[in-house]
Amino acid sequence: MTRNRWFLLALCLAALNLSAQTMPVDVEIGYRWTDISGNEEMYRTQINEEQGLLLRALTIASQDFRLDISDLGVGPAGALRLETRRDGLYRFNLNYRRADAFSALPAFALGQHTFDRTRDIVDAELEIQRWSAIKPFVGYSWNRYEGPGTTTWHVGQDEFLLSQDLHDTDRELRVGAAFEAGPVKGQVTQGWRSFRGRESLTLAPGANNGNNTNPVLGRPITIGGLTREERTDVDTPFTTLNLTGQATSRIRLTGNFARFAADSDAGGSDDVNGSLASFALGRFFNGLSETSSARAKNTTWRGAARADITFNQMVDATAGYRREHRELDGSALIRTLYLQSVTFGGADPRDVEVILNATNALEREEDVLDASVSIRPLTALSLRAGLSQSNTDVTVTPDLSEIVIDGGQGGTFDRRVRTFLLDGGYTLSGLTLGASLQSDRADDPILRTDFDDRDRYRVRAAWKAPRLFRAGITADETRQSNDRPEVAYDARLRQYTADVLVTPIETLSLRASASRFRSNSNILIRRPENFTTENSVHVEKGKSIEGGLTFSWSRLSFDGDLSRFKNEGSLPFELDRSRARLTVQLREAFGIGAEWARDEYREAAFAVADYEASRYGLFLLLRR
Amino acid sequence: MKRFVFGGLFLLLLLGPSLIAQETPAEAASAPAPLCADCHDQAKAFVTNPHARGGVTNGVLSNDVCATCHGDGTEHIEAGGDKTKITVPRGRTGSDETCLVCHEATSGGMHANSSQVNCLTCHSIHASDPRSPHLVAKPQLALCGSCHTQPASMRNKPYAHRLDRGGMTCSSCHDPHGRRSKGERSLAIVGHLRTTRAGEAPCVSCHTEKRGPFVFAHGGAEIGECTTCHEAHGSSNPKQLRRATIRQVCLECHSPIATATLGSQPPSFHNLSLPRYQNCTTCHVAVHGSNRDPQLLK
Repeated sequence: MTRNRWFLLALCLAALNLSAQTMPVDVEIGYRWTDISGNEEMYRTQINEEQGLLLRALTIASQDFRLDISDLGVGPAGALRLETRRDGLYRFNLNYRRADAFSALPAFALGQHTFDRTRDIVDAELEIQRWSAIKPFVGYSWNRYEGPGTTTWHVGQDEFLLSQDLHDTDRELRVGAAFEAGPVKGQVTQGWRSFRGRESLTLAPGANNGNNTNPVLGRPITIGGLTREERTDVDTPFTTLNLTGQATSRIRLTGNFARFAADSDAGGSDDVNGSLASFALGRFFNGLSETSSARAKNTTWRGAARADITFNQMVDATAGYRREHRELDGSALIRTLYLQSVTFGGADPRDVEVILNATNALEREEDVLDASVSIRPLTALSLRAGLSQSNTDVTVTPDLSEIVIDGGQGGTFDRRVRTFLLDGGYTLSGLTLGASLQSDRADDPILRTDFDDRDRYRVRAAWKAPRLFRAGITADETRQSNDRPEVAYDARLRQYTADVLVTPIETLSLRASASRFRSNSNILIRRPENFTTENSVHVEKGKSIEGGLTFSWSRLSFDGDLSRFKNEGSLPFELDRSRARLTVQLREAFGIGAEWARDEYREAAFAVADYEASRYGLFLLLRR
Repeated sequence: MKRFVFGGLFLLLLLGPSLIAQETPAEAASAPAPLCADCHDQAKAFVTNPHARGGVTNGVLSNDVCATCHGDGTEHIEAGGDKTKITVPRGRTGSDETCLVCHEATSGGMHANSSQVNCLTCHSIHASDPRSPHLVAKPQLALCGSCHTQPASMRNKPYAHRLDRGGMTCSSCHDPHGRRSKGERSLAIVGHLRTTRAGEAPCVSCHTEKRGPFVFAHGGAEIGECTTCHEAHGSSNPKQLRRATIRQVCLECHSPIATATLGSQPPSFHNLSLPRYQNCTTCHVAVHGSNRDPQLLK
């Protein structure tokens, strides 16, 4: 993987070398060092900037050709974007993104769920621009996610740590055309998407005893060996159509339609040997062999229509309707053979086969009707008021095997939400005032955390003196609740932010911001072990302070930032961040840049998660 | 994949110089009249701007390109650069009279053309961010965050998407224009969110393995959304979850107390006083859906 990155970098530089002779080029390339103390896995989970060669930025641009590269090399995320076109002939775009995904959280799933994977995404599209009335295009996307990880499997009344190797690839081919015929224009796309997932799992070294160290009915639960192979293939043809028509000079109509039918075919096998137990069978067993085959289908379509009406310079209105329909159907045949099983009393030795043939279904229908009117009585003032109503109908038909305790898994559910929206803005002489209110009223919840009432308020004031000063204050509040006594859901989220930017002289700008974040949520939950109810409380009290400066003089520029985020409440922690970057343009075509970044993370209740990480970078800046 | 990327880059190596060669500026043609670029450096730099397409001859920008937005500059030139004799598009009126002559207006929402938010609030024709496409004035996080302070500051939390790095920006998920017309490959849905090309929520355009369909689907994902459990903009909690502990995330739905809601009751052997049962996903690993186990155990 690392070698590929070097090869990629070498190719990019070669391209740069060839093209630099004739086209403006900006490039920044260098090396980053890291110095991490404390929990390095936590650092990698949150930040994951690695040590090594880094193409921080490259830009080659003209009117018809543009290549941008950013942060390609060592992780965690890099991108390449190529845009090229010939007027009257074609337009070609190529995008490449790479992201390293790492997770190893000591407090999550007892620290046993980890991954160290890479996601590569390529997207290319060619549009033929030979004709003005119709522009055909063909596109291709490719998304690969792969790498090792660890997970767990609950089997035989215990959970065992597994080593995981994942290879998922998603491909999409699409063709279509954008078209224009008089007042009507639009686009039609037909696509074919395919997902291929492969997963191999084995018992992790030293994980034979599992999480449950206690014996079950006097018998230790252990595994000698475990292998599992999984395969998932999904094919999804899809069709989309967008249409826009200018009915009159004042009325524009738009419509769109999308439909896809995802068809999944999955299979898997498990082989386990050890000393295990099953309460469902009431038996001990020494091995397990399982095979499964499954099919699932998701057919979804959505159609929408909208009218935008301009009455005059001051008043316009919009109204729309959207309907979405989704059907999910699934079936699975799972054959499980429990080997060398005996009853808990040690009698009746035999292999036991359990066959599960499951079918289930889900249907969801959603209708949304909305209308709003915008008024601009004065140039500086704008107001908007809107109403919408959404109706959701859901029917869930689970398989009996999914129901352990009856209730809450199947049935028909309806929910209606009415929304009222009002917002406005005023701008005059650098002063901007804005306020918005959104009020939602619903009848029945589908999930317990669905609100009955929700109100959102937002106020913003900003003042800008050109080239000297800009300041703003924002206040947000969201309250949502469900007053049913058996739910007692009440959540309140508030955030206040103030930011200021001062440019006392042309070469210097100073910035600062402060934010307070408050989140309180309460809802009744039921403890499974004794069915008592208790309040599930989640609290966040966050304070964020940031400050920074940018100084630019002649061939020297400096950028620095300090920030502190302190959170109290359910998961208290402190996060200090420092960033500094100095660049010196030694010659017109050559300069150097130095970077320093430091992050310090501390959890009040779980010090094992703490880390301190510094990164140092030295970069060459080339411009031709 | 490697072949695709490397093939693309080799193509670039082969075609790049030939493409570029056609753009090579020759000696500047002697112009019969003064050029905007004679006085304005930004006009010189404009030759690489997409708006100059068709208006550059031998590397020299035609005054007609500038005149498209700034009007005829003859009087301005004759007056020795008198600023009152040239149009400078500003604010909503400037957007109406220049940008929207060619570009389609946005529909609805606070981003509809107004004195508070208009094309020139976010796009800078002459001084755009060199690393960003579509001539946006600043990197998107700074640009969008200047008004949308709440989601921007949530990115400061320890678990967040890496915005403005690796090609992921605000517009990877949001459609600032809310546009549903030619030129947009996706269909916007509620909240100005982009969808996948097939019409799904933007999350699964990257997280394809979560897309399913699964035989044993998780109701929270199918009836709700990804944001039922996750904070898209950033979270204080691991995995960008909405709660600090897994059992809260799960039990807030899976506590069917008298109300007919979707969410089953866990059996009583789930003793929350034991660490094994406090971390629901230690056993129920397939929380996004499973093809192997009705209880999402694998």
